[in-house]
Amino acid sequence: MRVGSRRVKQSYLSNFIGFPTRIIILLILFVVILFPFYWMITNAFKLEQEYYSSPPIMFPSRITGQNFIDIVQKYEVFKGLINSIMIATGATIFTVAFGSMASYSLINGALPRRLKGVFAGWFLVQKMYPAIVVAVPVFYIIRSLRLMDNVLSLIIMNTSFNLPLVILLMIGFYQEAPFEVEEQSMLDGCTLPQRYLYVTTPMVKSGLIATGMLTFVYSWNEFLYAVILTVNKSKPLTVLIAGFITDKALIWGPMAAMGCVVVFPVLMIMWLMQRDFIGGISAGALKG
Amino acid sequence: MLISRHIHQTASDRIWSWAFLLPVVAVLMIAAFIPLGYGLVLSFFRYKLTIATSRPAFIGLQNYFNMFRDEIFIKSLTNNVVFALLSVSIELGIGVMVAMMLSDDNRMSRLMTTFLMVPMIIAPVAAGTLWRMMLDRTYGVVNYLLSFVGIPPVSWIGDYRIALYTVVFVDCWQFIPFVALLVLSSIKSIPQSFLDAARVDGASPWKVFTKVMLPITSPVIIIVAMIRFIDAFKIFDVVFVMTQGGPGNATEMLPTYIYRQGIKFLDVGYSSATAILFIIAMSLIAWVFLRLRSLQLRRLG
Repeated sequence: MRVGSRRVKQSYLSNFIGFPTRIIILLILFVVILFPFYWMITNAFKLEQEYYSSPPIMFPSRITGQNFIDIVQKYEVFKGLINSIMIATGATIFTVAFGSMASYSLINGALPRRLKGVFAGWFLVQKMYPAIVVAVPVFYIIRSLRLMDNVLSLIIMNTSFNLPLVILLMIGFYQEAPFEVEEQSMLDGCTLPQRYLYVTTPMVKSGLIATGMLTFVYSWNEFLYAVILTVNKSKPLTVLIAGFITDKALIWGPMAAMGCVVVFPVLMIMWLMQRDFIGGISAGALKG
Repeated sequence: MLISRHIHQTASDRIWSWAFLLPVVAVLMIAAFIPLGYGLVLSFFRYKLTIATSRPAFIGLQNYFNMFRDEIFIKSLTNNVVFALLSVSIELGIGVMVAMMLSDDNRMSRLMTTFLMVPMIIAPVAAGTLWRMMLDRTYGVVNYLLSFVGIPPVSWIGDYRIALYTVVFVDCWQFIPFVALLVLSSIKSIPQSFLDAARVDGASPWKVFTKVMLPITSPVIIIVAMIRFIDAFKIFDVVFVMTQGGPGNATEMLPTYIYRQGIKFLDVGYSSATAILFIIAMSLIAWVFLRLRSLQLRRLG
């Protein structure tokens, strides 16, 4: 029965335009999605005369590591990498710590009931509002606090962007955690921070890791505030790669190499936690 | 669960509960509320930092009126609306189709689903750079590939009539997968018996699509449409690296315009007013979508 019914779903939904057409469309889609990555990787390893050739060379005849050496020597990729790691890690730590504390308190704490609704509503609004609207005031505030070009300001901004989503997701995790254990430890005289730290949070650890990874990726990819709030020494990778474009000459090889450095950590994270990732993104979106 | 989760409230619990909320409130105050309030205040002032001795002068709503006489503002507003409508409708159309094509649970579909995630999680800046490279008029691989089917080189970035659609294309490349994944997870939740019943009644695939699938997935589709529509008004990264708002003002959008006015030209008052108007418009759009969704949910019961 199950096998039969599964075939129904297949023929009625997935093959709604006929099997051959479907395969052709999916193939085209596949190529369009992945070809840019092929192009990026091959260009990153092409010799200068090959990435500057017109017509372009589809299959490089020789590969070189020169572009990667170039971005290390001329374009400060290490500094950018360290900045990106610091910003994303810092934002992740703060977001997960603060976010889990707040969601724990909203679910298991002794707060007025109505407060939970108020906060949930607030975070929903906060999650949707466009970051650009506070860009100009933030720029002037950070400038007058002399925090320009400081990774700390970017850590704070990224934390604030990710907190709403993380809290909304974590409220769900804490709600699902069994309350009996919490109750028992309450009777045993554990204080609230003890229960948070040793009893309930360990039960939602996998959720925290998933949201943490999501925060890491979003902060790693963040560009708007990175470009506004950095001048020189704290530029992350996203700003460095954009710098290749604003120059008059477009140096494809090193640019593609830089692209690899920006993209691969994120792809690795995605590969490590595939399922949680889809779950996180879709839950995060649909909670809206 | 109707039982209250905090039965044994102690004073210490109560204090700690509030203390646990404090860091979040502090961060959001510093990074969101204070700047927003500051921006609102600034929007009533004439305040340009291009002149070193400039002092803010109160001018009431003048900044807001000026917007409607500002041709570049109007231009970026229309660009942004065109961009949002086009990209969202294309993404929804193709995304729903792709989701349906991947809705069977076999190996190939699962593999495709994994690959679908790749564009949507890479940095938009990287996506913009990648396509900037591929769409270059002389060195770009896209023009080269198109030459095989006899299409002469197109200036994807440099032609003011085309540039906006190029940005739409890159946005679609990144976010059709997003739409497809969300709709796919909603299609998978359709009870099998519904589809069986439809088959027994001899419904055509098109009927199943319009009478079974669309109604059930419509709340999700509405939310996805809202997210993408609002995101379309946040577009900054891709425009910044691909076209810089050019050629001329052909791809200037609201975020890039606010950035240019506030950060580049240091016109603090005016750009703050633009930002405030922007957030009001966004809230209205979100409200309309949420209203639509709750109506739809009520209709479905």
